[in-house]
Amino acid sequence: MKRETLDVKRQVWMASLFLFVAVLSQPWMPVYAQYDGQTKKTLPPPQDVRAFDTPSDGGGSLTVVWAPAPYDSAATKYQILLSDGATVADPAAMKVVAEFPANQHYVRESKWPWWTRPATGDQHQFTLRNGRGVELKDGIVYSITVAAVLSDDRGIAQPVQATAQPNWMNWNQINNLLLALLFGGIVFYAISTARKREIFLRRIPGLDAVDEAIGRATELGKPILYLTGAHDMSDPSTIAAAVILGRVAKRTAAYETELLVPHRDPITMAVCQEITKQAYLEAGKPDLYKDDSNFFITSDQFSYTAAVDGIMLRKKPAANFFMGAYFAEALLLTETGASTGAIQIAGTDSDHQLPFFVTTCDYTLIGEELYAASAYLSREPVQVGTLRGQDIGKALILGVLGVGTILATLGVLLDAQWPQLFLDVFKDVK
Amino acid sequence: MTFAERMLKIDRRIIFLVIGLCTLLPLLYPVGLPIKISPEVRGVYDYIESLPEGSVFLLSLDFDPASKPELHPQAISLLRHAFRKNLRVVAMTLWVSGTGMADQVVTQVAREMGKESGKDYVFLGWSPGGTAVIINMGQDLYGAFPADYNGKPTKGMPVLQGIANLRDVNYAISLGAGNPGVEAWYVFGKDKYKFELGGGCTGVMAPGLYPLLRSGQINGLIGGLRGAAEYETLIGQKGKAIAGMDAQSATHLAIIVLVIICNLFYFSMRRQATQQSRSGA
Amino acid sequence: MIFLRRQVPLLITLITGLVFAAQYYVPHPASEQMLTSVTKWLQIIGGFALVLGVSSLFHVHAMKIRRKEAGWGYSFVLYVSMLGTIAIGLWSNGKEAVDGTMTAFGWIYNFMMVPLQGTMFAILALFIASAAYRSFRARSREAAVLLIAAVIVMMGRVPLGEYLIPLSGDLSQWILNVLNASVRRAILIGVSLGTVALSIKIIFGMERSYLGGGKE
Repeated sequence: MKRETLDVKRQVWMASLFLFVAVLSQPWMPVYAQYDGQTKKTLPPPQDVRAFDTPSDGGGSLTVVWAPAPYDSAATKYQILLSDGATVADPAAMKVVAEFPANQHYVRESKWPWWTRPATGDQHQFTLRNGRGVELKDGIVYSITVAAVLSDDRGIAQPVQATAQPNWMNWNQINNLLLALLFGGIVFYAISTARKREIFLRRIPGLDAVDEAIGRATELGKPILYLTGAHDMSDPSTIAAAVILGRVAKRTAAYETELLVPHRDPITMAVCQEITKQAYLEAGKPDLYKDDSNFFITSDQFSYTAAVDGIMLRKKPAANFFMGAYFAEALLLTETGASTGAIQIAGTDSDHQLPFFVTTCDYTLIGEELYAASAYLSREPVQVGTLRGQDIGKALILGVLGVGTILATLGVLLDAQWPQLFLDVFKDVK
Repeated sequence: MTFAERMLKIDRRIIFLVIGLCTLLPLLYPVGLPIKISPEVRGVYDYIESLPEGSVFLLSLDFDPASKPELHPQAISLLRHAFRKNLRVVAMTLWVSGTGMADQVVTQVAREMGKESGKDYVFLGWSPGGTAVIINMGQDLYGAFPADYNGKPTKGMPVLQGIANLRDVNYAISLGAGNPGVEAWYVFGKDKYKFELGGGCTGVMAPGLYPLLRSGQINGLIGGLRGAAEYETLIGQKGKAIAGMDAQSATHLAIIVLVIICNLFYFSMRRQATQQSRSGA
Repeated sequence: MIFLRRQVPLLITLITGLVFAAQYYVPHPASEQMLTSVTKWLQIIGGFALVLGVSSLFHVHAMKIRRKEAGWGYSFVLYVSMLGTIAIGLWSNGKEAVDGTMTAFGWIYNFMMVPLQGTMFAILALFIASAAYRSFRARSREAAVLLIAAVIVMMGRVPLGEYLIPLSGDLSQWILNVLNASVRRAILIGVSLGTVALSIKIIFGMERSYLGGGKE
């Protein structure tokens, strides 16, 4: 028994010794670095390096992607190396154009939407652009590579070639284009529907206030002052103001009340003159129409304001209408009007002046109530249809906001990427 | 007329007098209360602090003399900060009526900080077109401004070396009093040419720019005289904004007291009317 | 004539509108070059618009002086001021200062325009106070909410307010960053949709009021 135990022990020792030698002889044991000139090659170079022209841009840019590595950390750095031409004699001599910690610059952090992403989210990516010390010309072949650096160690991947080119389409913003086309389609559809049948519009409460103000001015025998705002006829608020002027002019014609409409823009004045003339014609009082009821003062903000304030203090109109876009002059106008005891109705989409109008006017049409009021009054299919189209657009946006919030929350809670498929569709990629 | 009714219909000139005194007295006898820095102003300050020497800083003074009290101190503080950091300052304006004022402030601060025109800074002046100027600068700065405000050719100027267009600008700030202003610089500038953008504006416009701030479209916002005072505090150089804060404090407090008094009289009048109607019934 | 006055402008609007809407999605340098050329034209036309504005002012006030309408004296003062400023501006080469010395044009700018514009803007401070005294009454629940929010923000935006009520600073920040930002965003979305819809209508000729004159 004792002899057999001794034999077993000798066999175990022999086996252990054999195993130890076998392990030591394996080539994957990096006991000491191998030197190539001055650089240690212990750090494996980045893998799967690909370089290509940055898509959807105006040229002068290249993008590099490469696989993540086990040594990705703040201590390790990646360097992007660039040189002209297709052949590279010594990759180590290439110019370093960028350097950053190895735990940065992932595809998932970039702003690319899912339909243009060049690689999976876990891959590294870096975009080189012409300028700021980097020269990248279109049509010229460049060699580009990535090096990993840790202390004195440096691993350089095999250089790859790429050529920058300008592109004809920005595919990152295709969602923007499709949504714009969708909204345009909705507006056209709504306008064509409005041409075929009547679309219901709820009565805007501010319009009752307009009628009341005109009635009060007539009772007092004082004029009505109507302002169309600071912008020109290309602004939706000025167009809405001009339409409401038509209604006011029709009433003033019927009641034979004086109408004063000072303007800041000559073209707006010309348009409003036509509208007022037409209104007087429709009211059956063409002889009462006065050409200079619409008059041009100046386009300068405060000069105009001073002139209108003077008109308010001298003529003391019983009703003041402030329709359109306004800036700092809003409070100057409305407070002066309030001091004369006039009834004041405002309608504006200038949200920064809304607090002043709300506090100083008897009634205020806020934002789109102004557009809605003009559509309600004119009943033109184009105006009504546009309003409906905008309402549908807003309903869609509301729906997207609701669904998007739920999906984004789910994505965070479940640490999932799939909600991004929906969210990216409504993202504006810069 | 009851006392409450008389007080509610008080002559506006008495209110004007109160406000006038509240503005004037603190300017004559300043108090100097500490000013808390808001994150939006700190956003602008920190970004300029982070810029290395020689970075290109574009300052667009898009306001006229009407907005001078609020935006002039902002411009002075930003220029002092930029010159102290030895940034290359490119100043300009999109408002024709503000050109003289913009030239004065840039020249004044540059002289104070010992900076040389053409070498450390340039004032490009005004060019017609508003937002079209921004687009043109985005393509070719020298095309939009072939010469500076003093008529010197911009091409070859040391301060503009290496700058071809807006893409080469490291940081741009628009001090806007209206349109064109901060929004125009974002829509036609940053959206296309991808430079970092900050904003300064009058107090009344500031709330309207918070959506841009919250979404990261601008990285900071200096709002009104308060914002200018915060910036003066950050750079450690007191100016008209800090001096004006005492007056603004007194005025705000006066308005609040007036509003409270007005509401007290209003409720007193309503109670009297209710009591009268009850006794009448 | 109708063709030139109506159809041609509409055709130009349609083509340029579609081209420049598409330009936004084309990053190629040729597209950017086209945009630059057009914006240069815009700058040139913008310069002309200044001249047009001045000449229309001249015309309007000349008529007033000739007809001796009510207030024609002010028109005369405007004429003298405008011509005087133009003459001095040309004489000073458009410069407010030369080598640190103020020119006559600079004198007009600094001692007339700046104080006058500043005065108009400064009146706002007084008007805000009188408007607030007249209107900030808690007539209803909504008015009371508006009143309280206004008081908090007014306190929080000045050092004295933050000193007296330290919480007002943080509260006003929250009101501005959360409540205000969300509502402004909503208004911005609505107004932007309106602007996009109007632009589409103008491009496709459904909205023609910018051409001047009435409907057809």
